[in-house]
Amino acid sequence: MKTIDPALKKVLQEFSRSFRVKRQNVLKGYDFEELRTALAALKDDALDRNAELLDQFEARARAHGSVVLRARDSAEANAQILKVCRDHGVDKLVKSKSMVSEETGLNDFLAGHHIEARETDLGEWIVQLAAERPTHMVMPAIHMTRRDVAALFSEKMGRPISDDIGGLVRLARGEIRKEIFAAGAGLTGANALIAENGAVMLVTNEGNGRLVTSVPPVHIVLTSIEKVVPTTADTLTLLRLLPRNATGQSITSCVSFIAGPHRGPQYIILLDNHRSEMLADPRFRETLRCIKCSACLNVCPVYQIIGGEEYSHIYMGGIGTLFTAWIHGLKASKELAKVCLRCHRCEEYCATKIPIADLITALAGRIKKTHGAPVWKRFAFDGIMASPGLHKTAFRAARTARRIISKEDGFSRKLPAWMKRYDRFRALPAPASKSFARLFKKEFGMKGAKGGEPGATKGGAKGTVTIFGGCLVEHFYPEIGLAAARVLRKLGYEVKAAPGLCCGFPPANAGFDKAAAEAFGALLEKIEIGRPVVTVCPTCTTMLAKRGAEITGSEKAKALAANVIPFSRFVAEHEKEAVEHLTCEGRPALRATYHDSCHHKNLLKAERCSRALVEAALRAPITEMDEPDACCGFAGTFSVDNPEISAELLADKLEAIERTGATVVAMDCPGCLLQIRGGCKRKGLAVRAAHTAELLEEALK
Amino acid sequence: MDSLVERFIEKATLAGAEVHSFSGLNEAVDFLKSFVKENKIAEGLISMDLKKGGPVAEAFPHLETKTEAMWVGAGLVAADFGIAETGTLVHFDQGDEEKKAWTLPDICLCLLERAKIVPDLEAIAPQIAGHLARTGSPSPQVSLVTGPSRTADIENQLTIGVHGPARLVILLT
Repeated sequence: MKTIDPALKKVLQEFSRSFRVKRQNVLKGYDFEELRTALAALKDDALDRNAELLDQFEARARAHGSVVLRARDSAEANAQILKVCRDHGVDKLVKSKSMVSEETGLNDFLAGHHIEARETDLGEWIVQLAAERPTHMVMPAIHMTRRDVAALFSEKMGRPISDDIGGLVRLARGEIRKEIFAAGAGLTGANALIAENGAVMLVTNEGNGRLVTSVPPVHIVLTSIEKVVPTTADTLTLLRLLPRNATGQSITSCVSFIAGPHRGPQYIILLDNHRSEMLADPRFRETLRCIKCSACLNVCPVYQIIGGEEYSHIYMGGIGTLFTAWIHGLKASKELAKVCLRCHRCEEYCATKIPIADLITALAGRIKKTHGAPVWKRFAFDGIMASPGLHKTAFRAARTARRIISKEDGFSRKLPAWMKRYDRFRALPAPASKSFARLFKKEFGMKGAKGGEPGATKGGAKGTVTIFGGCLVEHFYPEIGLAAARVLRKLGYEVKAAPGLCCGFPPANAGFDKAAAEAFGALLEKIEIGRPVVTVCPTCTTMLAKRGAEITGSEKAKALAANVIPFSRFVAEHEKEAVEHLTCEGRPALRATYHDSCHHKNLLKAERCSRALVEAALRAPITEMDEPDACCGFAGTFSVDNPEISAELLADKLEAIERTGATVVAMDCPGCLLQIRGGCKRKGLAVRAAHTAELLEEALK
Repeated sequence: MDSLVERFIEKATLAGAEVHSFSGLNEAVDFLKSFVKENKIAEGLISMDLKKGGPVAEAFPHLETKTEAMWVGAGLVAADFGIAETGTLVHFDQGDEEKKAWTLPDICLCLLERAKIVPDLEAIAPQIAGHLARTGSPSPQVSLVTGPSRTADIENQLTIGVHGPARLVILLT
């Protein structure tokens, strides 16, 4: 996947930022969670009764005099529209924004039959004039500057046109209106179909929808089957969320409910295009709750770096990848599925609570099944990770080779030139000289336990907890696991370490469910589950607390899941008083910033706990960086699949850290630590990247 | 003043509409007369209900017959409801002529009675549903208009009047 030019990236990032500010403002006084829960339930119910509601809609629309047609696929829908045009002698058709018509490739199809289809939505009109493709669902021409638009208009009008935006819009107004008055038919999409009265709801800002449906004699609605809802009241629920989540407006300037034909005949085409199959799929049917608000795209870190042209087949971003897999085929979604970070940020914004990232993971599994996977993934996951013994041996070998790999400053030597793209932007860590399991045993084990320092309770007056480190801690950063153990011991717990095995997340995330089940199963067999399992890696945590039980379905996995708790939450919740009374005499207050690890914030919702701990440990309020919750670009195998995107995300993150002037950047994920610490090293930044547990341990010393 | 009306005015203004408040219809008619003069409105579209005559129609120079005019300076319409939550005008369309009077002109003038302002769309959900369930000619439409026509398609800069009216003037009576 190609990254876009820096100027456009800036535009997209600024758009994303202003969107989030506007959205937050219009959601003030509303409970977003409550609104979207209601909308999701409403859509689920409508999907359950889809066939029945479509029949009801069709009957009511017919009673109004509309002609309702069903189309199995794109070809059928296009043919139906062609027939309508031929029947009514239409050689020019004007369109108000219709995503479905892009799905069916309508414009090109009609052009092939000498019928001109003209867009009237300003952005779409500009993009069509430039013979390009839209790069955003709601902002189709976001990739063009005012100068680009002025140059385009000048060329098409054959006279110089200034780049004043007001002037450009006025000129477009005139040109587009002429086209609307010259057209024989107007085509629109639909934001909702109302079963109880056969009405179509259209939500627009520019007012072109109203012109397209009232000026040309024939009105064609091209829409898809999942848009049907039972009642008018349901559309009002939808309307409360759609504009707020799409453009940060409390409502758009025009909303029309149209029941039946107006000037002339009205045709409503209901397109299936594999949506029925999606509906019948218990895992993927949730996707159809989508209301096409594009909030997910607006906050997607990857979209802002590769843009809509790269990150789409027709539909864009993560949600687009899911639709693509069904509508345009699994193969068309193969490359798209690889660029999702699985950061889950979009899910914080989704109007209907679609678990986009988890569905992409499920999709990766299906792609792997049908189209196979790259050799390196098969080797790493099926070959090594599926066999815990081999996995351990591989890391042991790496440790033995440490002298060769490492430069003895904690980082590995630079990779050979042909692999430069993987460590050009971040130094990779050297394997630790001893594994976490070994170091833990040495310090906390039965024999030779150090303990004994003042304040430590030997017996563990507060009970016993198990520390789960995870692979990165086990083999690269044992100091994080040791720090967590020391803190807990100091607070009065007896600590034990979980076996140093992989939780199985990396293969699970890549769609290698079998390898994941084997890795997770081996861990499950050995781990003691009757007491709190305290974790220092949010990604492992999600595996232990949810995914593992989903994959294996085992009772023991469920019991384990119930006992898993992130280190920061455990300390913040169970040891509130101890944290408040942290006395760090003689320690200077440090300027610190905090990086939100995706899974820690978006899935575990533990970011507030961590911030409180960091502030207590460093005796200073956190200086927040811009977009603390933007992904650092590590995302596990993502940075191997997409080193260029990973590098861009890291560069943004490092700049944000630098702007705070902080000397410490705290975080809760060893993966982020690898990325950010390695990035600081390559960039020569004098910023220390540390895990919350490490900072807390130092404060308690 | 009624808090509902106040909220409507606040939200409509925020959406870019111009709101003028009058104590009665006579005052609104006077305003309309001077508005027509000031903005040199020679002829405009007028909604069907207002066409029937009366002081409002007389104050507004409008085209009497159905028109295919592409360019119209102004339109005079009346809203059925106002929504305080969003400053929205609700209109139960009577036909495409009606919709054109709202959409084609550069300036849209809209009458709204204070008593017709309701808190939110849910408050008139039954009326909307009832209207849309009606069969017969012309077939029913319900339009929600909030502020002038707008776009942010070029450089995400808010620009007014891309397809519909550039000015939405609400006359509260």
